[in-house]
Amino acid sequence: MIWLTWRQHRKQVLYTAIALAVLAAVMLPTGLSMHHVFTDSGLAACLAKVPTTPVISANVNTCGLLSNEFQRQFNGMGFIAILFLILPVLVGLFYGAPLVAREVEHGTHRFVWTQGVSRRRWAATEFGLIGAVALVFATAYSLGVGWWSGPLISNGGRMGQFVFDFEGVVPIAYTLFAVALGVLVGAVSKKVLPAMGITLAGYAVVRVLIEVFARPRYQSPLTASFSVTSNDQFNTPDAWTYSQGIVNGAGKLVQPGAQMTCAGQSGGAGTCGDQLAQQGLGPAPFSNWEKYQPASRFWEFQGIETGIFLALTVILVCLAFRRVRGIS
Amino acid sequence: MNDVGADMTDTAITTSGLGKRYKRTWALQDCTLHLPTGRIAALVGPNGAGKTTLLHLAVGLLAPDAGSVRVFGQDPYGNTKALAEIGFVAQDNPLYRDFTARELITLGGKLNRNWDAALARTRLSDLGIAPDLAVGKLSGGQRAQVALALALAKRPRLLLLDEPIAALDPLARHEFMQALMGAVAETGTTVLLSSHLLADLERACDYLIVLQTSRVQLSGPVDDLLESHRTLIGPRTEADRIPGVAEVIRVSHTDRQSTLLARVDGTLPTDPAWTVREVTLEDLVLAYLAKADTRATRTAWEVKA
Repeated sequence: MIWLTWRQHRKQVLYTAIALAVLAAVMLPTGLSMHHVFTDSGLAACLAKVPTTPVISANVNTCGLLSNEFQRQFNGMGFIAILFLILPVLVGLFYGAPLVAREVEHGTHRFVWTQGVSRRRWAATEFGLIGAVALVFATAYSLGVGWWSGPLISNGGRMGQFVFDFEGVVPIAYTLFAVALGVLVGAVSKKVLPAMGITLAGYAVVRVLIEVFARPRYQSPLTASFSVTSNDQFNTPDAWTYSQGIVNGAGKLVQPGAQMTCAGQSGGAGTCGDQLAQQGLGPAPFSNWEKYQPASRFWEFQGIETGIFLALTVILVCLAFRRVRGIS
Repeated sequence: MNDVGADMTDTAITTSGLGKRYKRTWALQDCTLHLPTGRIAALVGPNGAGKTTLLHLAVGLLAPDAGSVRVFGQDPYGNTKALAEIGFVAQDNPLYRDFTARELITLGGKLNRNWDAALARTRLSDLGIAPDLAVGKLSGGQRAQVALALALAKRPRLLLLDEPIAALDPLARHEFMQALMGAVAETGTTVLLSSHLLADLERACDYLIVLQTSRVQLSGPVDDLLESHRTLIGPRTEADRIPGVAEVIRVSHTDRQSTLLARVDGTLPTDPAWTVREVTLEDLVLAYLAKADTRATRTAWEVKA
């Protein structure tokens, strides 16, 4: 059985390995140059010195200049990183969807399932080995992307959408989920091309649903605030910010998205609070307010999301096993 | 051979009330059959009659929705022990097209406990089939031969072939049947092969199963069937009561004459008004197919027979 699975998929594995190698060849120079600039410009050392509290004095250097300079230089890289998002689903499309569907489309399931090996064992070996191959590729990819995007992440944070999705352990879970989804859809549709289409759509739907509705609820978000009259600033560039704005003395968000400090304004620190009150925004004192998930929760969130997708994977694989029993 | 009862040792396939349904349509219904061992049986019927369904039930690809099927006394569904006794060539001879014949023989060895690789190699070498060419690049006839060689290499006691020659040209058909007959003659393997073309099987088969509209219309050893049916030509009559006739299968009239294909009991009609002729296998099959066809149409139109 192992021989058969290898013989059936060896070309595919070879092509995937070549594709990953080409990708690595492209990523290696850009990654190295990012790492060099990150260290040589002093940005790395500077960021290391920034305290981790969510609100700090405006006098503390948060490396804004160096950070902007770095971002300007590697502006396009963030978009390349977004391309990494689609790699897991590609594995699902090309390894998962054809696994059962191509056998049925070519009728070869009637050959292989009537030899001396049970269908259950056939499915266990094929699913298991393809899952293992996907696991190896996904791990390599995840480690590679993690290294490559290190400076971007240190400079921009890893909690936000997109970055969270291609780093850490979640890409591995996404890949396994995509493969399992492809296998099940292929076993149900019994046609390769429709299976690929449905897998793509299904993967996108599940990912978006989890990301939009479940992920924000893994943990209650934290809030931070400082008075508009104080000489402070937010220090959460690496957090996942849900919302921010100015709240009045009653705790009501009166100016969503805005941020304001009176420090340095003529007429003294109290004046801008008065201005806000005059605009009818409610009682003083006014504060800058932010609701966010801190970067320190990165691995916790990764763990929860990985768990969800692995559980979905297990369910899909069980359904695929059942489905294979019903095909003739 | 241990003593498991006579009915198990000399019956290759036993079905009883076997049925399979797809959604609401029965693909095979109320099928009761006993295929004795050592026979070469033709499973005949038009497309959609349920031939493939019956074969898939027998090789355990499908689980029945009604009744039961036993192959050498065992339920074949999900039963690798029963599968080891059955060689199966599915319709269109499906094989991994990018595998070479040599690789397919290797594969068979990895998937089966009993595997006669030498047998498969010898057969394919005798037929002049390239060992290292992807089987997708072979001709249809050669691919069928590879599929047959792989089925035979299991050294099965029962060989099931689903329309093995339907897609082949006449020469390849002839060669395939010749190869098949040669192989099973040596081993005494029971064969059940389906076809919608009777002509190709007529010479080879000694057992006949006619399937039409998802039901078994006729089954039995060819000799017995030919012996028990006659064509009768006589004066035009509507009456079914002709001495010696057990059942009229098909009747056609001209102005003055009636031609009947009938099942007869031992005593043939002696009335000199009737000419009695022996039937050919083709007459017989066509008569039973036509009979089932009329009945099915009548049921569909809700017309009383």
